[in-house]
Amino acid sequence: MILFRAILFIFIFITPLKADSIYNLIKIPNLEVYKIDTKNGLRYLYATKPFRLGINVTMNINCYNSDKKILDEKYKVIKKNLDRYSLNFLKKINLKYIVLCENLSIAEINTAGIPNNKTRTLILDIKFNENHFERAIHHELFHIINDNYKELFLENLWKNLNKKNFAYSKCSTCNDNWNLELLNNKSGFFTEYAKSTASEDMAEVFSHLIFYKNKVHSNDPIIEKKILIIKKNVLKIDNTFEF
Amino acid sequence: MIKKIKISKSEKIILIFIIILGVFTFTSLIILKNKCLFVKNYNPNDIKFDNPENIAILNAECGNVIIELYPDISPNAVKRFKKLIKLGAYNDAAFHRVIENKIIQAGDLEFGKRENLNYGKVGSGKSGLGTIKSELDKKFKYNKGSVGFTRTFELDTEDSQFFIILQKEPLFEGEYTPVGKVLYGLEILKTIKFVPKFHIVPRPDFINSFKMLN
Repeated sequence: MILFRAILFIFIFITPLKADSIYNLIKIPNLEVYKIDTKNGLRYLYATKPFRLGINVTMNINCYNSDKKILDEKYKVIKKNLDRYSLNFLKKINLKYIVLCENLSIAEINTAGIPNNKTRTLILDIKFNENHFERAIHHELFHIINDNYKELFLENLWKNLNKKNFAYSKCSTCNDNWNLELLNNKSGFFTEYAKSTASEDMAEVFSHLIFYKNKVHSNDPIIEKKILIIKKNVLKIDNTFEF
Repeated sequence: MIKKIKISKSEKIILIFIIILGVFTFTSLIILKNKCLFVKNYNPNDIKFDNPENIAILNAECGNVIIELYPDISPNAVKRFKKLIKLGAYNDAAFHRVIENKIIQAGDLEFGKRENLNYGKVGSGKSGLGTIKSELDKKFKYNKGSVGFTRTFELDTEDSQFFIILQKEPLFEGEYTPVGKVLYGLEILKTIKFVPKFHIVPRPDFINSFKMLN
């Protein structure tokens, strides 16, 4: 018992001190401020070194630092897209920190972004697929919205919008087809990736709505219904939101 | 007959060196060990304040830290802070988390008091009064000497613990509920015990007393 206490005591005192303010706020190491005085209150941070994070004990999220030049270029693109969201809306959806890094992966699977509504943080891979990079920003932002308003975006109701014989995969990475290209086959989905899970489907609808603005036309009645639901629910969160 | 031996020049030098060394050792032990020796202590009764009803005096080992509270910015937080001060709840509370020239944290009333300091839990204690809502809407610049309420990872969990920053912290703006600002005595805060690379200060310094001016 004495030995146990001694070990515990030593452990308490030798816990490495993570004194930096960013770590204390969002629990991600190796970050520095890129820009914090933005109009809509978003705080952009970037990785100065690679970092690893854990979901339940396992440290399975990895991301790497970028060249300054790439960072500067991508920051402009990201900011332009995120400037569409007002301070008021971002407060309501609980998003404050945008972490910029590259080659973001979770369980060794590359991903465009990882949202965390508890830390009000969205980690973005600035080297994600160039063709869909901008739209992917909105897709990931939707996950923050969804995580905060689960009661509005009910998955069971959403599933019923699809054709009767359709079933989503068990998870967003359980399917091999992650194609993000626009489908034109009236299947009820914007992309192949949308078929992975209900929440990914919602995020695809939202991101197409935001990125293509009013240019999204669909002769697909299922997609039309999905668009209406997303619009209606987002407006419930903030009735001043403009699509 | 005993012949008197004359001290050589080199022996004289060694003797002088030993005397100087002795003086230095004595000075170090007596004077330099007293961390409060060159720190100015402010007497609040000698100072005229614009808002004396919002002046709080934190007395630490080396003297008084005079803090102006900002009820216009965070009415509920200041109300809670004043209540705890008037109850004497902060007396004998440890400065349990101190990072050199950066931040000083105190006010754990459950696990951070002198009589029952719990190293395993300090920083997680509660006041028993419940939590209050974060007040982040009004603009407040977190500059050197700013005082704020700490919270857990989630908003609206402010209770009794507070921090004082010793450098500008723009990231704190809109994150932590402001309470006030140190008007006098920042140098006293710099004498509070810290241990480099330690998360919790072992055998920390304590608040002697925390009172409102009026």
